[in-house]
Amino acid sequence: MTDNEQRRNAAQTAGDRLVARHVREDPFAAAFKATRMPMIVTDPNQDDNPIIFCNAAFEKLTGYSAEEVVGRNCRFLQGPNTSREAVARIRASVEAGSDIAVDILNYKKDGSEFWNALFLSPVRDDDNRIVYFFASQLDFTNVKSREADLAAARHKAEEEVAKNTERLQSALGAKTLLVHEVDHRVKNNLLTMASIVKLQARITKNQDHRQILMSVLNRVEALSTVQRKLFTLDDVSRFDIADVAREMVSDLVGAIKRPDIRLTHELHPVYVPAVKATPLALIVNELVGDAVRRGLSDGGGQIHVVVKRLNGHFLIRVEDTSIPVEVDIETAEIGRILLETSARQVGAKIERRTAGHRTTVDVTMLVESPQESEN
Amino acid sequence: MLLAMELENEVEMAGHQVIGTAATRDQAREAIAAQRPEFAFVDIHLQDGPTGIEVGRDLAAKNIPYVFVSGNIKKIPRDFAGALGAIEKPYTINGMKNALAYISGLIEGCVELNPPASLVLAEDVELIEAGPRI
Repeated sequence: MTDNEQRRNAAQTAGDRLVARHVREDPFAAAFKATRMPMIVTDPNQDDNPIIFCNAAFEKLTGYSAEEVVGRNCRFLQGPNTSREAVARIRASVEAGSDIAVDILNYKKDGSEFWNALFLSPVRDDDNRIVYFFASQLDFTNVKSREADLAAARHKAEEEVAKNTERLQSALGAKTLLVHEVDHRVKNNLLTMASIVKLQARITKNQDHRQILMSVLNRVEALSTVQRKLFTLDDVSRFDIADVAREMVSDLVGAIKRPDIRLTHELHPVYVPAVKATPLALIVNELVGDAVRRGLSDGGGQIHVVVKRLNGHFLIRVEDTSIPVEVDIETAEIGRILLETSARQVGAKIERRTAGHRTTVDVTMLVESPQESEN
Repeated sequence: MLLAMELENEVEMAGHQVIGTAATRDQAREAIAAQRPEFAFVDIHLQDGPTGIEVGRDLAAKNIPYVFVSGNIKKIPRDFAGALGAIEKPYTINGMKNALAYISGLIEGCVELNPPASLVLAEDVELIEAGPRI
């Protein structure tokens, strides 16, 4: 008899002994044999801790018959891709006589791999000595491959997202470039328009013509100021009307050089949608322009410009102490039409009060989104 | 170019003499070499591309004060290439007039003027003070 045969016989005998201890009706033994969970019992008191018993589910899972496995150490389930670390953990657990649950890659009789959720536990007798090891195997290859499928799908999706993001970024880059280019052209065109009017005003000998051209230039320049102030905020859809008013007023103050005309202002940021920038800037321009024109033709005076929020509304107020006479009918008419049309365009209300030498014009309109204007 | 011509007129109306205009970087170099200007307006986009910044650096190297005139101030390098500041296009007649008054005041040595809204000053205050003294 070879050593191998001897060992197998010893293991077989131990297995038979174990089975013999349980009568046929023993429900625990019956369950062990019939369960769909693959299970084995090993005998650590024999050389190399051989398998002494395996159930039908184990045979089914691994492809080995009971005869083929009894008497052998479980390591025959290992193969080239089995984690050395997992094996070492199992060994350490057996040596320590403790429970262990470990996921390990094992091999069937036909050489195919399966993922084994192994649970190993010592069985002790009344004297607390280890008499057997009990092990259950759970094939979770499906879960593992689903995990792999999921990881692959996720990887593919991530690649797709990265590709799309790159495409979007390059499209956004092109758009941004286009917006800057268009913005640049609009600015240059506005300045070119202004230059053409300036050229004509410079060439003409006729004072009336010159005055008309300067009146056109003034409105073109109001639009220029708006265009310059667009896109300066991080949020390009909003526009601070006080910022435009400040620039218009300070440009005027610096340029008129009339110490008898004093321009003061009270300007608080009021953010409006960018689409309303032009009519609102024209409103400020007409109100201030009218006051300054009267002050210039009259003996100067005080001009006060207010832009602020007021209970869900916002207010543009221009107050002056210039004599409220119309400088000339045409100029006043153009100013009035521009003011009224612009106000109508944004749904603003114009209210004009005169008391002695003091003229106050209030333009009020609803602030569309109060929260937005709080920022 | 029309814009340069009208700017020239505005500068002269303010009592200054224009010694030349240039449409490219090379023309600018020749003009600067031919007759040293006291001050220069530099558009970033010239006929040969965005070479205005190089023209600005040339001017700064020669200690000639200048400002950029640009439709996109964000394109100016962080160090402003040695410029005093920038006038953003499209500027207005009044805005240019005020900027000119401030600049000529600076060049004449008067540092107590308030800069007008139309002139964006370079962040580097030392450059602003060093420029006009030369």
